[in-house]
Amino acid sequence: MSGSSTRREFLTRAGAMAAGAALGTCGRLALASASGLDQSEPGRARVVVARDDALATGEPGKHGALLLKVLNAAMQKLTGAADAASAWRTVFKPADRVGIKVNTLGLSTQPAVVDAIIAGLRLADVPAANIIVWDRFDTELGRAGFTISKSGTGVRCRGTDAEGYGSGNRPEIEQSGAVGSAFSRIVADEVDALISVPVLKDHNLAGVSLGMKNFYGAIHNPNKYHEHNCDPYIVDVVAHRYIRPKWRLTVCDGLRAQCHAGPGHHSGYMWPFGGLIVGTDFVAADAVATSIIEEQRKQRGLKTLEEEGRPARHVATAAARGLGIAELSRIERVEI
Amino acid sequence: MDDLRNIFTCPSRRDLLSWGVAASGCLLVGRRLLAQDQASGTSALPGPKLKGLARHEALYWEPRAEGRVQCTLCPRACEVADVERGYCGVRENQGGKYQTLVYGALCSANVDPIEKKPLFHYLPGTQAFSIAAAGCNMECKFCQNWQISQFRPEQVESVLVDPERLVRTCQAQKCPTIAYTYSEPIVAYEYMHDSAALARAAGVGSVMISNGYIQRPALLKLCRQLTGVKIDFKAFTESFYREWCAAELKPVLATLSALKEIGIWFELVMLVIPTLNDSAEEIRDMSRWIVKELGPDVPVHFTRFHPTYRVTNLPRTPVATLDACRRIALDAGIHYVYAGNVPTHPGENTYCHSCQTELIRRVGYQIKSNEVKDGKCPKCGVTIPGVWSQEQALAFKPRV
Repeated sequence: MSGSSTRREFLTRAGAMAAGAALGTCGRLALASASGLDQSEPGRARVVVARDDALATGEPGKHGALLLKVLNAAMQKLTGAADAASAWRTVFKPADRVGIKVNTLGLSTQPAVVDAIIAGLRLADVPAANIIVWDRFDTELGRAGFTISKSGTGVRCRGTDAEGYGSGNRPEIEQSGAVGSAFSRIVADEVDALISVPVLKDHNLAGVSLGMKNFYGAIHNPNKYHEHNCDPYIVDVVAHRYIRPKWRLTVCDGLRAQCHAGPGHHSGYMWPFGGLIVGTDFVAADAVATSIIEEQRKQRGLKTLEEEGRPARHVATAAARGLGIAELSRIERVEI
Repeated sequence: MDDLRNIFTCPSRRDLLSWGVAASGCLLVGRRLLAQDQASGTSALPGPKLKGLARHEALYWEPRAEGRVQCTLCPRACEVADVERGYCGVRENQGGKYQTLVYGALCSANVDPIEKKPLFHYLPGTQAFSIAAAGCNMECKFCQNWQISQFRPEQVESVLVDPERLVRTCQAQKCPTIAYTYSEPIVAYEYMHDSAALARAAGVGSVMISNGYIQRPALLKLCRQLTGVKIDFKAFTESFYREWCAAELKPVLATLSALKEIGIWFELVMLVIPTLNDSAEEIRDMSRWIVKELGPDVPVHFTRFHPTYRVTNLPRTPVATLDACRRIALDAGIHYVYAGNVPTHPGENTYCHSCQTELIRRVGYQIKSNEVKDGKCPKCGVTIPGVWSQEQALAFKPRV
């Protein structure tokens, strides 16, 4: 997907490294996991925090091979599979039509992270033509470094709407809790499995903009749902039938993270986290990612999100609705 | 908000093209429809199809810490972080500066009878060049034009029409008035203000068809350019505004009082929705408030609801309910009370508040007869409140 590397290159790397993605070769690699498809005990979740010092420096696009190695290791740890291909096959089937929802508003998902995910999906024999990388608008995807591809047999990449005349939302208004929205046709009609690929970042209203908040990009009117720290609206959106049953995996891009003044890019509040946060329990993944942002805020002497008046309420609300686990004491945070 | 359904449910593009310029000078641009008669070269609004966003520096905002901005245009007072938008979806923070994204981005343009707004005491029988851009600062779950009001500008097909071209086109269509309507014009404030100023200088009036959700300074500045206003008075309870419009009643009342203070001509419309805002008590309270705070001469239209958008489980308003609302309002002392969306209903007509002579007979949006002479009842000679000539419209000067 990124301009700096081709699909063929990634497939080559995937094949070469799939068998060798051992934790010990990844430097300071960290994993964590969640419930359902992960290997956690009943009532608990596992979230993998996978880091490598090298990922914290330089251009992310130069770290394609390492990113794949780290991600595969995380998937193995998450699923308990013996090898990377088996790990991906635990979560995805060859017939799946997979939508990779990136976040390209403000501090954006790195295309290199998406390339690694695509390589992982290919290990699970998901055809390239069954994979679509998407967000709200073509223009935002383009600005974030993604190459728009709307046809052909390869991986597609496009926004729900092409700026200037959007027709990418379903015509009907779907009710979900307090939310009434027209959903993206991509999430409604074109995929049956979802991967949320947010950025590890702060949000001025919701507290954090992570895996769940990322799906505000699936509705036509997110601006209507910003009150009360976006709660319960974020949960209403992700609980919808177009999202919750399809959501298989969160891969939070923490290569470069931002702990304050998000979602716009503010270099003064960024830090090189150098890792990925991976989970199949999307609530747990967001809970762990939130805690990482809070830890960074504390280190910098910033107020907590609660003290700032913008706690990430939606994480607890999601747990209360039975969508996943938010209590950190019930989440196995595996770091490598 | 006048109803755009006829535009957005028009049968086909071919139909639109054949009706369009030839029949009524009608140009319709809307979501999934572009009825611009480009093939024949006769287009009522010859603006280029908009690619991207129509950005323009916004009025009424203040900088805040860390690149945030506070919008002061409407009562929501959204505090907006960099790259984010306000509740309306059409005003965006770009690097600590607030921008409107719909300056001249028209998603709908049509030549309508002024009665369709509805404005019954404003140049009856004339045409209004009616335009809209995407966006709204409320979310009424019964919105009739939600296809444009509740979408963001990227999601609605638009043409780019600068204020000069708008005024020229309006004049070419021989419309004495531009109506900013269909969606919520307040959120396209800068364009409306600039266009209305230009129009006034060119001898064209401007009316705003609005929910009234605006802060006072912005309203005062705007009314220096407008010649009439219609406000959708959604209900008379805070709970209704909160639950069904995601808004508050109090700021709307403040706007109505301000309009009275300014002295601009305005009319009120209440969409009567079965079980939600149709209790006799509420209508009575509202009517009494109108008489006390705004005076008896402000026309009030009770219009019929039909199921739409997020309220599809309620029936159309019974005509008997509209009759009851009308009777309550008349009994409370409001002089001019109308029933809307019920063609041929006698409540569509204007009767002299003094001698009850039928002054204006309407069928739907058509004027069948108009007996008002120089703004007076021909029978008893009493002055009929309203704007009866373009000279009167353009002579308006705000009192504050």
